[in-house]
Amino acid sequence: MEMSKKYWKGIDELKQTPEFIKHKDQEFPNQQSVEDFLADENLAESSTARRDFLKFLGFSVAAATLAACEAPVTKVVPYAVKPENVTPGMPTWYASTYYDGASYASIMIKTREGRPIFIKGNKDFGFTKGGTNPQIIASVLGLYDSARLSQPLAYGNKATWASVDEGISTAIANAKKVTLLSNTVISPSIKRAIAELSAKLNGEGGSKFEHIQYDAISYAGMREANLLNFGARIIPSYDFSKAKTIVSVGADFLSTWLLPTEFAVQYGATRNPEGEWMSKHFQFESVLTVTGSNADVRSMIKPSEEAAVLAYMIKALGGNPGMSVSAGSWKAAADKAISALRKSKKSSLVVAGSNHIGVQQLANELNNLLGAYGSTIDLSNTIELHQSEDAKALKLAANVAAGKGPDVLIMMGVNPAYSLPNGPAFAKGLKSIKTSVAISSYQDETASHCTFVCPDHHQLENWSDHQAKSSEYAVGQPTIRPLHNTASALESLLVWNGAATRGGQDSAVAYDYIKSTFAAMNPTGDFNYLTHNSCVALPLTPSALIFKSAPVKDVPKSAETEVVFYQKAAIGNGSFANNPWLQEMPDPITKVTWDNYITMNPVEMEGKYATTYDQEHGLNLATVTVNGKSVTLPVYPLPGQAPKTIGIALGYGRGANGENIGKAAFQTKEYGGHVQTEDGKPTPIGANVFGMVATGATLTYSAAAKIADANGTYPIAATQIHHTVMGRDSIVRETTLSIFKGREKDAYNEAHKLQKLDKHGNHVEAPVSEFDLWAAHPVEKIGHRWGISIDLSSCIGCGSCLIACQSENNVPVVGKDEVRRGREMHWLRIDRYFASDEEAAVGTKADKETFSYDAAEKAALNPAVVHMPLMCHHCNHAPCETVCPVAATTHSNEGLNQMAYNRCIGTRYCANNCPYKVRRFNWFNYPSYKKFTEVNPAQDDLGRMVLNPDVTVRTRGVMEKCSLCVQRIQATKLVAKKEARVIADGEFATACSDACPTNAIVVGDWNDLKSMIREKSEGVRAYQALEEVGVKPNVWYQVKVRNEDNSLLNHIQVAEQAHH
Amino acid sequence: MQKEAAIREPLILGHKTYHDVTEDVCRPIEDKAPKMWYILFGIALVIGLYGVGSIMYLLGTGIGVWGLNKTIGWAWDITNFVWWVGIGHAGTLISAVLLLFRQKWRMAINRSAEAMTIFAVFMAGTFPLIHMGRLWVGYWVMPIPNQFGSLWVNFNSPLLWDVFAISTYLSVSLVFWYIGLIPDFATIRDRAKKPLAKKMYSILSFGWSGRAKHWNRFELVSLVLAGLATPLVFSVHSIVSFDFATSVIPGWHTTIFPPYFVAGAVFSGFAMVQTLLLIMRKAMGLEAYIHTKHVEYMNIVIMVTGSIVGTAYITELFISWYSGVEYESYAFINRATGPYWWAYWSMMTCNVISPQLMWIRSLRRSLLFTFFISIVVNIGMWFERYVIIVTSIHRDYIPAAWSMHFPSHIDIAVYIGTIGLFFVFFLLFARYFPVLALNEVKTILKGSGQSYKESPDYHKHH
Repeated sequence: MEMSKKYWKGIDELKQTPEFIKHKDQEFPNQQSVEDFLADENLAESSTARRDFLKFLGFSVAAATLAACEAPVTKVVPYAVKPENVTPGMPTWYASTYYDGASYASIMIKTREGRPIFIKGNKDFGFTKGGTNPQIIASVLGLYDSARLSQPLAYGNKATWASVDEGISTAIANAKKVTLLSNTVISPSIKRAIAELSAKLNGEGGSKFEHIQYDAISYAGMREANLLNFGARIIPSYDFSKAKTIVSVGADFLSTWLLPTEFAVQYGATRNPEGEWMSKHFQFESVLTVTGSNADVRSMIKPSEEAAVLAYMIKALGGNPGMSVSAGSWKAAADKAISALRKSKKSSLVVAGSNHIGVQQLANELNNLLGAYGSTIDLSNTIELHQSEDAKALKLAANVAAGKGPDVLIMMGVNPAYSLPNGPAFAKGLKSIKTSVAISSYQDETASHCTFVCPDHHQLENWSDHQAKSSEYAVGQPTIRPLHNTASALESLLVWNGAATRGGQDSAVAYDYIKSTFAAMNPTGDFNYLTHNSCVALPLTPSALIFKSAPVKDVPKSAETEVVFYQKAAIGNGSFANNPWLQEMPDPITKVTWDNYITMNPVEMEGKYATTYDQEHGLNLATVTVNGKSVTLPVYPLPGQAPKTIGIALGYGRGANGENIGKAAFQTKEYGGHVQTEDGKPTPIGANVFGMVATGATLTYSAAAKIADANGTYPIAATQIHHTVMGRDSIVRETTLSIFKGREKDAYNEAHKLQKLDKHGNHVEAPVSEFDLWAAHPVEKIGHRWGISIDLSSCIGCGSCLIACQSENNVPVVGKDEVRRGREMHWLRIDRYFASDEEAAVGTKADKETFSYDAAEKAALNPAVVHMPLMCHHCNHAPCETVCPVAATTHSNEGLNQMAYNRCIGTRYCANNCPYKVRRFNWFNYPSYKKFTEVNPAQDDLGRMVLNPDVTVRTRGVMEKCSLCVQRIQATKLVAKKEARVIADGEFATACSDACPTNAIVVGDWNDLKSMIREKSEGVRAYQALEEVGVKPNVWYQVKVRNEDNSLLNHIQVAEQAHH
Repeated sequence: MQKEAAIREPLILGHKTYHDVTEDVCRPIEDKAPKMWYILFGIALVIGLYGVGSIMYLLGTGIGVWGLNKTIGWAWDITNFVWWVGIGHAGTLISAVLLLFRQKWRMAINRSAEAMTIFAVFMAGTFPLIHMGRLWVGYWVMPIPNQFGSLWVNFNSPLLWDVFAISTYLSVSLVFWYIGLIPDFATIRDRAKKPLAKKMYSILSFGWSGRAKHWNRFELVSLVLAGLATPLVFSVHSIVSFDFATSVIPGWHTTIFPPYFVAGAVFSGFAMVQTLLLIMRKAMGLEAYIHTKHVEYMNIVIMVTGSIVGTAYITELFISWYSGVEYESYAFINRATGPYWWAYWSMMTCNVISPQLMWIRSLRRSLLFTFFISIVVNIGMWFERYVIIVTSIHRDYIPAAWSMHFPSHIDIAVYIGTIGLFFVFFLLFARYFPVLALNEVKTILKGSGQSYKESPDYHKHH
């Protein structure tokens, strides 16, 4: 008997039928190969029933449709070994320093999973005290620019570092003359490396090596004037925070002049009307600048009148201007300034923007007369930025253009072929130079003509050190491993000098060298401590410089029509032309994006050029001719532009020969792709006017010009097409310092009242806050209630908040055509209002009886300006919430108005019903539609690395808007919760409040009774825009206070109070 | 049998017999379609397909292909929606309200007016659908059980009320229309010779046998449905007007809107009925059934509703000034004198002045003049909605956000396309459906006795 049981699969096996035996070794019955199946001739005859076919068809269509609806699956790779200090989901902040040859600031860099994604000012360390500008914040996007060179080039072809180094070193060794043309070097280490190179090549007294510093925007006039007046080519420190009277003659010190990151913070501190004193700011200028728009008294002058204005004031204050003076239309403003200067004496500060030596001399003279040196001006602490040596640079440029350049020309951080007055000739001349080297991140106008191109690291990948002022040594540290095969400029200089060998992507050459520089400067200093803070103070020796008068030389000449070349807050000198965030940033004054234009006063344009524009109606073109060179640009109606002057911004017309400087630097077509020129190159944006900059003793930025009509109109993309507030005092409220100081709140900030019945049935007035249409959300006294206060007095309109918001919240860039159609996506906008002749101040009707809406649409000749940042007001009775059919926008129990993008079906009713018009609709699929390939960084594999992983990228068809940085609120709450404590006031900051250099934006928990926001919201200046609509917003504005005499406003506000 | 006072103008001219009526109505269905029908159908189809193509492009690319912007979130889309809904008001008013008031003259026009209503509501319904940023999740506006957690619709939102109002209106109108068609389909069925047509019409006629019991139920259902539909005539456009009236936007936030919108809707609906019927009676030889008297009655409705609309416009103007509210008064100053003054004055001319001409008897009895005015009224009513929607939001509270609206070619294509589609439907209706309620019309035929009284034989004997 068998021991084991036998199992059988079925009767067939038990009975061992023939079929079973036949098939028992086949795993699958009826095995038939696919070939056999398909080769079956009868296959065609076999039929799928019609109904089955329709079922299959229906199923597959449905399945395909459903599959298409789903977002594509993206795989996430977890860390196998977790890097130190990197916790997924948690940001890591690095203190660092920003310097790009023009702007300088101590910054904080936020990295997520090893990617730098956000930059803000460092409020704790560094003399810039948290001040930034839009360019610094937007510079993080440049790191992920796919047009950045990824490896060195030799003769226009990709090359290795070894071959390039070899070529350059040999060329230097064999050369008779080596010239290094760089932008202003403030790095002690690079200075040391250059000195070593110079020592090696020149030996004792040789002249083989020469280093010339050259900036696109020159401040040589200041340094030359100081040489004449003080005997040293210095620029002293200015302290606006001590200046009770500020007189600026053409200096846009809040946005583009000298060191705005520091000045804006200082200036902001003096603009608090609640403080002990408030500065009085006089501005004499031609183009209405950001600084001019903030002035208490602004006067329009021609550039040629700058010297006269200063001389007039010198004379009035008992000095000797050394030139004859005749007063112009600016006399009234100058007289006011003189009386203010007489009062404030040494607590005054006079600055001049001109690069004419003579104008700067007069400013020095006036400052000296007032006693500002030693008070608001510190000669011992010098500004090391802007060392441009115009004469030397121009001579070199002329030589190169004439084919007589040096054997080796190394260009570091400069783009002379673009920014020199004779740029094109210089570019041609570069070809005749034996060895030209560009240390440049892009194959730009200059680099594309060079023998060798040695791409530098992006700042965020690089070790660097800086001494922007003699009082401070600062370092910049890398926050990411270099993305490409690039090398630090410092390392390149050392390698070519034979002092170091290439270290590859993880090179420590620059790091070690900077460390040794620091050790030599500060033997007891701790380098780790330095990198933690990013900077360290250096001891100062009191200056022995004494002012001495010198005959005034080189003052601007007058002409019938004068043109001013100015910089725009976003584009500056043009090095950011490929940054789509900055191109799309509305200009703080004109609100125009993506373009360059001629500014002219609308009063002068009347009857000649169009003074209004919208989506369909562009502006007229005109041709401006300066010294035989001409450009054709649209004429923009800019109120406040001095009559008989025009302005054109520098920094446009980049990539005129189709150089690959980035997709966003060129004009795009309506359905995507670049606009092509006749020879098939992409068309640059705007026109380059560096060629028109005057070359005298220094480069000067105004000239005599001729303007003539050109045929045609040009579409203009502006985010604001209506420029006045139409006398609506519930939007903007303005008063003067004397009314504010001397009168009750009701005079300048009266609450809106409605009629109601009291318990006796009588009509009585009651403030709007007592009326509720809806049951109030339970937001008072329970949990948090987030709020924002915006001070219209200290907001300077610089635009930093807007770019910070864009960076933080992944706000898409939509390009010129879409902005023109009124579809920019900015969550935060800065409304800019000009006063009209119908208004006593912005928002206050001069005479209610005769007020004309037609006349109120036109800005005054030289209007007062108000900048009003506006974002979602997070209304407690939000009109958007009630109208959404699917409840996609709801109120949080912390007072936030929230958007659930996933729930949104896109009816846009919420946007229509928003009184503030802050909601933004995704008209297209910005992250993938072809129209936005060139402009939206989210469409670029590298570019999308800049996206904040905490914030959803919105898809087509949904509404979006300011979330009050809810991701930051959540992060702040989590941190506090882990530490088992309540959130401290000031711990939570939105991107905008973080970025604001003047602290005009304050956010916080309104339910925290001791919080700043609570205090601000209950202050005498606090009001809510459109309060009478009854939506109960969580945003408060602070009344704009101008330190001016306004008798009309005084009459209205004081008389109204007397009436009540 | 119809008993009419002798001094009243007869509702059916001539001496039609029951058979004549059947013949007149069934002939176009049974005969080959005339060439003109094919030409018109072809044109309408091409325009309609162009619209459908534009809608496809819109759905594939995004709402950005329209001319909307950050300030103006609705323009032609919702203008067209309200315009079509308004047009879709006449049918139910004629069939339901006039039924309850026993206005027999409605019998000649109610069938086509109802068909027009249904097709207009189809067109109207298109716009709220395609104006959504994400049509594919549009079903979220329905309060259906779901697996999204506790997500529910927002009953505060007027858009949700719209969903219910429009869908209820459409379904009741459709049922009402269909019930009325049943006996007529049966007539056609009984006459049909081709097997396919016979089959189709027998399905459509629902087994109608013409028994007294059927007629009894038919009358009862009609009455009940008329009772149901009558409040809908007023509710639909009131609710549509809530889209605006409940908002906070000056120019939208107006309590006068519900009656004003309903009057405007009847106004435009009757104008559209005039436009269509004046052509149809000629094309299909129905002059005996739809004649000057019908046109005159409808013109009187146009005149009355037009006057209500005009009064509403003037009331709005007065209140905006009287309110003393800065934004409210500016909204109306801007309408009349701002950048869109031409739209406002087009509206005023078309809607306020033109219906007043109907006081003149000869004009309101002139078919040519009526046809002209009916077009003018619908142009005016389109502008009314455009003025309300666009000129209110293009300049509302914050001047920095003020903007202009310029339609894109897709805006225009979609609008024109819906007109094309509307005519595609209407031409199909005219070809395959009894355009006259033939069995109902028979009830107002003169009795044979009356006919005899009017015949020469009768007079001979007296």
